[in-house]
Amino acid sequence: MTTFIQHVVDALSVGATYALLALGLTLVFSVMNLINFAYGMMLVWSAYAAYVMLDHGVPFVLAVPLCILFATLLSMAIGRIAFRPFIGAPPITLLITSFGVLLVIQYLAILCFGEQPRILRLPSFFSDVAEIGSIRVPVLELITIGTGAAVVAVFYLVLNRTAFGAQLRAAAELPDVTRLMGVKPDRVLMVAFAISGAIAGVVGLLWFAKVGAITPRSDLDPTIKAFIAIVLGGLGSTRGAILGGLALGAIEVTLSATLSGDALGYQPAIVFAAVIAILILRPRGLSGTTLEPAR
Amino acid sequence: MIRLALRRDHVPGARGLAGAIAGPLLAVGIVTAIAGLVYQNDTMTAIVLLFGINAVMVVGFQAFAGNTGLVSFGHVAFMAIGAYATAIVSMDDLDKSIVLKDLPGWLADIHFGVVPSLIVGGGAAAVFALVTGLALMRLSGAAASIATLGLLVITVNVLSQAGRFTHGPRSIFGIPDKSNFFWVFSSLAVAVLISAVYKWSRAGLRARANRDDVVAAESAGVASLRARLLPFVLSAFLTGVGGGLYAMLLTAFSPASFAIPLVVVVLTMAIIGGVNSITGALTGAAVVTVLNELLRRVEDGVDVFGLHLKTATGMSGAVLGIALILMLRWRPAGLLSAFELQVEGRGDRPVAVPAAANAPTASPGGTHAGQRV
Repeated sequence: MTTFIQHVVDALSVGATYALLALGLTLVFSVMNLINFAYGMMLVWSAYAAYVMLDHGVPFVLAVPLCILFATLLSMAIGRIAFRPFIGAPPITLLITSFGVLLVIQYLAILCFGEQPRILRLPSFFSDVAEIGSIRVPVLELITIGTGAAVVAVFYLVLNRTAFGAQLRAAAELPDVTRLMGVKPDRVLMVAFAISGAIAGVVGLLWFAKVGAITPRSDLDPTIKAFIAIVLGGLGSTRGAILGGLALGAIEVTLSATLSGDALGYQPAIVFAAVIAILILRPRGLSGTTLEPAR
Repeated sequence: MIRLALRRDHVPGARGLAGAIAGPLLAVGIVTAIAGLVYQNDTMTAIVLLFGINAVMVVGFQAFAGNTGLVSFGHVAFMAIGAYATAIVSMDDLDKSIVLKDLPGWLADIHFGVVPSLIVGGGAAAVFALVTGLALMRLSGAAASIATLGLLVITVNVLSQAGRFTHGPRSIFGIPDKSNFFWVFSSLAVAVLISAVYKWSRAGLRARANRDDVVAAESAGVASLRARLLPFVLSAFLTGVGGGLYAMLLTAFSPASFAIPLVVVVLTMAIIGGVNSITGALTGAAVVTVLNELLRRVEDGVDVFGLHLKTATGMSGAVLGIALILMLRWRPAGLLSAFELQVEGRGDRPVAVPAAANAPTASPGGTHAGQRV
């Protein structure tokens, strides 16, 4: 029973990370049909920002908001310079553009930090293990679950209770009508990139707190996990992103817990095969919204 | 009297078809002649061979992406399978007994020459594409691209785990060093021939009809899955052959050799040349190879006006990234768009075809209307 609860906590914490990743990615997708290949690199950059600040003695409580601010501004800058000119382009063109963006910002990371891994110096409580009764849970997992829930709550407040949120939802649903209503598409896009960047800042810290070391090429893993989560949940839906992220976390933890010996090595392949199988049974993803937006 | 033309669609009739197939072959001839001249320089031999192999892979990629409009990140997986299959059937006894000593008997006794080895490489990739394509080709657009990326992850994972056949995550070595100028560029010519014959066949037209308007194509009796599956399998075969050539050029490689940087190279070449054109695939491969070679020199350090310029490694990636973005912004259909080099007689004129399969269809979205990548 205790191992089962531990697995559930594991699954929730992994799933929460994936859900946040997917949320940041799907937000921009819903506004401009962009599947952002450079998203994982945003995480890497925000982790580098945290690394530089913590290394220079900036207190942790100050470093976290500054790091999120940095990610937000970076995301807006990239959105403004690289993606805005492509508004209205077919999704495939956008996907490949983001591939180009990835190559450029990855090179900048190599230029600034080199290929060698950098260790994030986090406060010691991150590596503690909490004991609740007979269950031992790493503190990082609890922080991840808590942060995930908090970010999702704030996200829905912004989306449903503010003018920005209303404009975002409107632009995602009926872009032409929204423009006729006097909402500037540019501004909506920048808000989407800002929120997506802020989320990337949070996930970047959580992700690399778990992984430990940052390298300029450690972006692929989070990018692929985010892609699977949004496709699994159904492209362009925020509910789907959260659902997809949690489902992916559950699939991964279940496989790690049940596979043994040689089969464990095949875990990534089995996860992907499971995802493709789900897609064939439910081509529109778990949440059932449209997979490919109408052109 | 024969002349050359760049056209989206070929002149009707058997002569037009022959000219449309001869055109890309002529382009291969030109590329091979230039490559042959550069090959005379001893320091350039490896680059020329790598260019030829990349061109085979870009032609393979184009056969799928150009005809179906889907972008696959998974072609590097076909390349990996082609490379490993070729390696297993071409290695000699001594190397097999060292590297792959647990190979089942029937595989251990096989020692094929160059051509059968490459065909096995291509065939293995084609079979894999057929099996996975039955599932993947049901998806479209961005979801299909992501699923093909998944295919690459699965393949690399399985190749590094199946140590009995692949020597696991460590390097496999001892593959005969058979990728010479003749085999590489003959393979390129055959790949272009297959791709051109397919492109101008009824099956190719069905795939492009499906690309341009799924609903109209289906209502005219074109089954989406079949229309896409054939180019997927065909292009996997060509890419697998490219992978086999790659294996016999490197003679040692590991599953990690087949990763995102290789995806970047193939994708950039195809997009810059024009993903809807076979001639474009060759052009893109040539342009990117030259660009890469120049950048590599800069990475090693060059002297410009007395200044010694040196940059960190990886700059070629960043420049390719910028080239990709600028290309998509200003010329999203690539250098050659959907134009093909064609050989035709004097007086041959294409009939004015009303909105042929290659004509851009109007869609909302300003300057990007109808320009598919």
